[in-house]
Amino acid sequence: MHFYLQMSCNWKKTALQASSILWLVAMLTPTACRAQESPYFVTYDHHLEEPGNLEIETYTTSGIPRAGQNAYVAPYLELEYGVLGRWTAELYLEGQGTIADSAVFTGWRLENRFRPLKREHLINPVFYLEYESTSEASRIQKEIVGGGPDVISPNSELQPIKNHELEAKLILSSTVRDWNIAGNFIAEKNVSRGEGFEFGYAFGVARPLATLASGASCRLCRENFLVGVELYGGLGSTVDGFRVHDTPHYIAPVVSWQLSENGSLRFSPAVALTSEGSPVLLRFGYSYEVRDFRSKIARLFGGKR
Amino acid sequence: MRAAIYTVLVFAALSAAYGQNTGYQQDPGWRAPSEAEARPNPLAKHPEAAAGGEKLFKRNCVECHGDNGTGLEKKHAADLQLPAVQQQSDGTLFWKITNGNPDRGMPSFSRLPELQRWQLVLYLRTLKSASAPSHETKK
Repeated sequence: MHFYLQMSCNWKKTALQASSILWLVAMLTPTACRAQESPYFVTYDHHLEEPGNLEIETYTTSGIPRAGQNAYVAPYLELEYGVLGRWTAELYLEGQGTIADSAVFTGWRLENRFRPLKREHLINPVFYLEYESTSEASRIQKEIVGGGPDVISPNSELQPIKNHELEAKLILSSTVRDWNIAGNFIAEKNVSRGEGFEFGYAFGVARPLATLASGASCRLCRENFLVGVELYGGLGSTVDGFRVHDTPHYIAPVVSWQLSENGSLRFSPAVALTSEGSPVLLRFGYSYEVRDFRSKIARLFGGKR
Repeated sequence: MRAAIYTVLVFAALSAAYGQNTGYQQDPGWRAPSEAEARPNPLAKHPEAAAGGEKLFKRNCVECHGDNGTGLEKKHAADLQLPAVQQQSDGTLFWKITNGNPDRGMPSFSRLPELQRWQLVLYLRTLKSASAPSHETKK
């Protein structure tokens, strides 16, 4: 909590320090790297975590304010674990700090992705189920449903309102000539209150900058970069009706850079297409993959695997 | 908060219980369709591309198949030097890299661009054991 408080007060200084640390980490780590991670922040494709591996990811969503709004930084930590070849589970811890307001821990989420088909197909479906225990002050905007988050009311009003929500997504994803094309259809139900079902969507396309790997070990090779674009937004609810004009929608270029053997950096500036929500969202992410995490934990407890 | 901790603990226990690898065996059901099997390697006339394949192999494959492709026992991973592997066509190896065999621990590498998967196939051909009889690559 203290961390978030400091972050909201000194966010420029913290951002500078964080980027310096990330750069240092990038320069000190080996240049060999793994298969590129998806560059998306909101859209899911059909690729799951390798079984037994743990990916530790930190993200921030920063909202540039409109008149009458305050800027905010919403950091979140994601632990992504490959349970089986076709089952990935993730735990999220999230917070939020708003300039001239306060900093709060906004809750946690537990999500699961299941891939029903064993082989690659033209369209690959993935089923997504999530439970959220968050407050109304949550602003990470990992997805946008209904009318989007409240980015105007103060934390003192929003934080006491707790939500227990179930969310389902149908993820459809294709690989066409080295392009990934993915679409997510989202339905969310707040089981704490009668808000009906809220809906949202996310689409993304992405491609590596180079499709042939060079023989040399390099950090700035084009093959280490993925670029693309995402489009996401809310579609109203069963209570307020299906609507698109007064809900937030964003278009967001995305880029990811495989920095090291296990680490990658992502960035995405999202621009609002409607007058709802924040006009610009700046998203940063760093992920680090712990290979063979399951065996490492088993060895800690005397196991052989 | 207590409910959250219990949920996470129960989930972790379930994950561990269901996350066991029961041991590697050649999966007779893991067969490439005939059209995939017949696909030639577009990089076959560019042996220099194998250097990139080696880099990709070290990035993505040594974790289970070991530095020289002989397969790590603890991972129940296939020995890629075996004739049983080397006798498979380029198209079959490409199909297996692309699709994986997720229920047997082999992930799909369709995330890699197509040419990089062909580079991996090119490099796999260099892993033939010195003691193994040489085999012509099936096209």
